[in-house]
Amino acid sequence: MTGTPPIALDRIAITRLSAVTCLGRGQNAHTDAMTAGRSGLTRCDFPNVDIACYIGRVDGVEGDAFPAEHLAFENRATRLAVAALRADGFERYVAVAIGRWGAGRVGIVLGTATSGVERLEQAFRARVEAGPLAAEYSFRHHSDHHAVASFMIDYLGLGGPGYTISTACSSSAKSIVDGAQLIQMGICDAVLAGGVDSLCMTSLYGFDTLELVSQGPCRPCDAARDGVSIGEGAGFVLLERDRDGARLAGYGETSDAISMSTPPADGAGAATAMRRALRSAGISADEIGFIKLHGTATRSNDAAESTAVAQVFGTSVPTASLKGLVGHTLGAAGAVEAVMGLFAMEAGIVPGTVGLETRDREITIQVRKHAEPGACRHMVSNAFGFGGSNNTLILSQA
Amino acid sequence: MTGRLYANAIGFAAPGIESAATLFAHFDGADWSGAEDWTPISQRLPRRQALRLSESTQLAIMVAEQIAGAVPQDAAWVFASSVGEGQTLAEILTALSQPEIMVQPLRFQNSVHNAAQGQWSIVAQATGPATSIAAYDHSVGAGLLKAMMQAAIENVAVGLVVFDAPMPPPLHEKRRFDLPMAAAMALSPEPRPESRWALDIEVIARAAPSDLGRINAAPGLLDCGNPVRYILPLLERMRRSDGQAVVLGLPGGGGLKVTINEVSHAD
Repeated sequence: MTGTPPIALDRIAITRLSAVTCLGRGQNAHTDAMTAGRSGLTRCDFPNVDIACYIGRVDGVEGDAFPAEHLAFENRATRLAVAALRADGFERYVAVAIGRWGAGRVGIVLGTATSGVERLEQAFRARVEAGPLAAEYSFRHHSDHHAVASFMIDYLGLGGPGYTISTACSSSAKSIVDGAQLIQMGICDAVLAGGVDSLCMTSLYGFDTLELVSQGPCRPCDAARDGVSIGEGAGFVLLERDRDGARLAGYGETSDAISMSTPPADGAGAATAMRRALRSAGISADEIGFIKLHGTATRSNDAAESTAVAQVFGTSVPTASLKGLVGHTLGAAGAVEAVMGLFAMEAGIVPGTVGLETRDREITIQVRKHAEPGACRHMVSNAFGFGGSNNTLILSQA
Repeated sequence: MTGRLYANAIGFAAPGIESAATLFAHFDGADWSGAEDWTPISQRLPRRQALRLSESTQLAIMVAEQIAGAVPQDAAWVFASSVGEGQTLAEILTALSQPEIMVQPLRFQNSVHNAAQGQWSIVAQATGPATSIAAYDHSVGAGLLKAMMQAAIENVAVGLVVFDAPMPPPLHEKRRFDLPMAAAMALSPEPRPESRWALDIEVIARAAPSDLGRINAAPGLLDCGNPVRYILPLLERMRRSDGQAVVLGLPGGGGLKVTINEVSHAD
């Protein structure tokens, strides 16, 4: 079973994109905010959460119309999925792809860390004493890891294989790799890949207990950075073979194998992922025009990533973290931020790092504060997660 | 599309069955009656560390250990589980429903679906690619599909681990697994000296998964609700090595048709 897969990676196009975050819905909202350096983070007002922090909350998603035939799946995560399917007409293009290739040839790989757990939190809080959950609560439709993908399979009428990747904050970056692999193997002709994660008590209190949440809006790579701002969102790409569009030029994946939540100081696993991505894309480090950092704004993560980037690319390639704009959208971050990077490439801008004022002296790479006009043919998009999961994508303009 | 993978070792764990050899003996007629108060046992995890990990993580590590000797250090690992860390999730949700919310830090970082895979990578010092997959009752099929793609495209050996453990109340009533169960396979794209089976794998549309009722195994294993049980038809065919095929379900209504042949080492 060795040799070249039936479809080469460079035959697979990213034909459509969608993102929904606290910045808004679709391409214009994200491009405008990146250009202006306008953050979508706001003071935390999420129900039942008493933590002094900022969050990236998608405005109005609770009030959107939800597909009536699929109400069993209705929760905050599937609402975010619906918002991203509707943004810029993305779902119409999925329907076109189904018409082009046949439903059985269109698959899905979805990344999520928490799925619809926000609904389960409510169900737990509504219990009487330590009694059972309400009879109408369905684990399969909400908190099961595969629930959002199941909803999308039903709602969109996808008939190809599909599954969920849940590797914490690298989940949806990995979904783009697996989506491409389904096409490379000739199993699918088109795949919807990407990720969804909603704000929830589990993530907010979980990161807070690890003392990783900033009280103010997060400040990636800043000398005074003190943690993440949790966000929410959905980001999707439609991958199709033999079409025009941007390319997943290559990817690299590794495991730190050292700690569940902290990378090694030298960023060794991340550096190897970046090197593998370059090798897989067949391009050299000096051909990269922009590096979209994972850039969570915790002390250890940003320092380790900077060290890793410097090892592989030197210190002159422009880099930025997008988390000051949208917060850390966790399992959705890999796809949301890859899509934002592609929006930036299309608009001819190199994004900046909202929240960065004074770069930490430990961080030696060139972290852009402000967006600037600039052409970029190949960009790196990093996503790292709990469990020591490292993913690097290389995305190239058409 | 058809691809071939070689299976070089198998692991299995459930109450009263602590290896693939014991499972095969059961397929051959040996009794199985479960084991009260059974807990997974890791050979490599220090006892104190094991106590801090959930049953599902320990279960996954237990079967990963059984195949680790046949998985090269630079291999990729694919972990597949429907509910992942359901026990840890229930503990966090209980904490979140108290008037004074206090979540334990270790509990949160071990609540992610890839906690077992992450912990295993640390135990095994496995620094290659690793992933963690969920697909409800089709998690076994999705895991093998990913393992096949990874082996073929990246030309690497893959350790595949499928596992699920019962969740505590009140989640248990909503997704009922009567038994913990896990299985593992050391897979490679090329035959190796220890290769015992060749698996010809084909993705097919509109396929009914193999009927669990046709397997010669105790009803308590087949009716336990744990999605890992859907690997039993494949493991039983591997025991028989008779060139027959089984079908593992995939989300979307299709399936993985796996034809099993014994590898003959002519030397």
